[in-house]
Amino acid sequence: MNFWNKIDTLDRRWVYLLVAISVILPFILPVKLPVYITPETQQLYDAVESLPDSSIVMLTFDYYPSTIAETEPMSRVALHHLFRKNIRIVTVTTVPLGGPSMAEQVTREMAEQYGKVYGVDFVNLGYKANYVAVLKGMGSSIEAIYPTDNLSTPLSELPLMNEVKNYDDIDFIYVVADNGIVDYWISIVNALYGTPVGCGVTAVMAPKFYAFVSAGQMTGLLGGMKGAAEYELLLGQPARATTGMDAQSLMHLLIIGLVLMGNIGYFAGRRQKGKKA
Amino acid sequence: MRTTVPVVIAFLSGLVLAVSIFFRPDKTIIGQLEPELLVWVTIIGGFTLFLGAVSITRVNFNAVQRRKKGWGYSLLTLISVFVMALPSLLPSTWSPLFGDAEGSIYDWLFQYLDKPMMATMFGMLAFYIASAAYRAFRARSAEATILLLTATLVMLWRVPMGEAFLRSIHTALPEWINTYVMNGVNMAVQRGIIIGAALGAASMSLRIILGIERTYMGKG
Amino acid sequence: MSGMEIFVLWLEAFITLAIFSFLYKDNPVYHMVESVFAGLSAGYYIGLYWKSIILQQLWEPMTRADNPKWWLFIPGIFGLMMFTRLWPKYSWISRIALAFVMGSTAGVFLITQLHGLVLPQMQKTMLPLVNSKGLEASFLAVIVVIGVISTLIYFYFSKEHKGFLGVTAKVGIWFIMISFGAHFGYTVMGRVSLLIGRVQFLIEDWIGSF
Repeated sequence: MNFWNKIDTLDRRWVYLLVAISVILPFILPVKLPVYITPETQQLYDAVESLPDSSIVMLTFDYYPSTIAETEPMSRVALHHLFRKNIRIVTVTTVPLGGPSMAEQVTREMAEQYGKVYGVDFVNLGYKANYVAVLKGMGSSIEAIYPTDNLSTPLSELPLMNEVKNYDDIDFIYVVADNGIVDYWISIVNALYGTPVGCGVTAVMAPKFYAFVSAGQMTGLLGGMKGAAEYELLLGQPARATTGMDAQSLMHLLIIGLVLMGNIGYFAGRRQKGKKA
Repeated sequence: MRTTVPVVIAFLSGLVLAVSIFFRPDKTIIGQLEPELLVWVTIIGGFTLFLGAVSITRVNFNAVQRRKKGWGYSLLTLISVFVMALPSLLPSTWSPLFGDAEGSIYDWLFQYLDKPMMATMFGMLAFYIASAAYRAFRARSAEATILLLTATLVMLWRVPMGEAFLRSIHTALPEWINTYVMNGVNMAVQRGIIIGAALGAASMSLRIILGIERTYMGKG
Repeated sequence: MSGMEIFVLWLEAFITLAIFSFLYKDNPVYHMVESVFAGLSAGYYIGLYWKSIILQQLWEPMTRADNPKWWLFIPGIFGLMMFTRLWPKYSWISRIALAFVMGSTAGVFLITQLHGLVLPQMQKTMLPLVNSKGLEASFLAVIVVIGVISTLIYFYFSKEHKGFLGVTAKVGIWFIMISFGAHFGYTVMGRVSLLIGRVQFLIEDWIGSF
């Protein structure tokens, strides 16, 4: 068996080992290269920054626990930015598995840091089924869709919700999502009610939404962990997304290297076969 | 009866919600009917998903009852369903361990077991994509070569180390990738796909409302 | 750090490593964790729907003293109809509820897909190719028009891709490959990030607590 055959039949576990080394090594020996800000992230940051004090923002937790490495840093930077500017927050989720629990945990933890009061500065509405109906229904009446908040307190008992009846009372919608719900925040909420929508989405979804940003239907876009890292930098609060960038860099170089090696092996093998024939 | 009634219901509900956009919400019957119907949809939608969770439980119960291969794992699944669900169904006024608030059994099991389990399962995909990159992504044709070259450029552009490398070639290279690849060619293609898919979804909606499309009803 | 916090950290670390053990070899510990995961998720759904639908959306509005919405028993019955799916003989009854959900969703979709996606996206494509923003903007506008049209034609299968249609579809596939390449790059990024999240937990939280 020659070298190229060996490369072609390499046990996948050697590749796994290389992945493990590449992702662990940067945490032991960090490089901390600068993170550059993309225009889409800057646009979202500027949109939030331009909101006046005491505005009301709807923040969504439209993601499953599977993608928290990408999405939770986005929720945290959003909450940092909004609480720091004394903006009031209404959270919702259209994700049944974990959405309400993650929204409760993250918002309450961040609110404690900023001394915010539940019901006055922020409210967690929780989950309701069939997101098309939820998104459309909140255009007429949020209370009709959500008679209570996530922990079953009637909305009439929450001072903040006395000011929020439907999208007319929301100044900005900050969507953090890992699934197709983003399309409906744009096609139903932004298009019908005119409320500006900015998004933080997983990297897998991000390329699609350049079409919405470009058409002015979406106000800014965070794409994956890198997007969250850029926002952390803009806020001056580097956290998990920023510390993950070294590992992200090395892993990308590894994958590019693996594609190259695989192709060299493939073409060398083909040439040898051609010579034998 | 078994087909006609559902078709009529789909037609009426679809028609009301489609035309409601043209009626004032507070002054007309259709405008007032729309939010009420949407609330109904969320309630029925909830029952539908509830049914899904009950079905999973039933499948595992049958596997245990009939001692099917791997029934031990099904038993573990069943126990987990009840340990998670039962305390959440009891009112939190009885004990802080019940209900779903912070500190309840339900919340604890989600935060410290379910969430890390799901996050780790998906974390494994990085290993698989690396293996696939090595074994499957071959520049076999001109189209495949373009795909791989663009992927490489974007992978470099999206990370600090790669971006520093691109800037060492030309300081404006990362901005060009953002402008011409992401906001140029990629955006145009995605726009084409969005327009095509939305036209498809709208025509499918019309077929459902008119009763031409009935496959969602299943057989029988 | 309290005893409970240490216990939770070790439990999460065990789960993480147990799942990663599958990468080396299929094993019973992995399957046990997988079964628990499936059960906990189904249990989570049951708890969530009980609270958010039955209690919050049905029971509370129907039974409150002020302005009770008694008529919500109708969607409640429709919802219960869905459970007839568990008995094949009566499963046709569930069609009534399903038809209501499908019809309503289709009603919303019919308008919003056209009004919210097709029209604004087309509007932003039909821009002056020569404009006051300079040569770069004009060049981009041309790329966008060619890209949108050729992509739509590539996915148009009602006519054979021959002649002008064939050439345009060919241009379309080149555009699509560039976009899919970008998608692939982003997908790699996303998958890698998910792994980084778990490694951050293992190194910074778990090992960091030693």
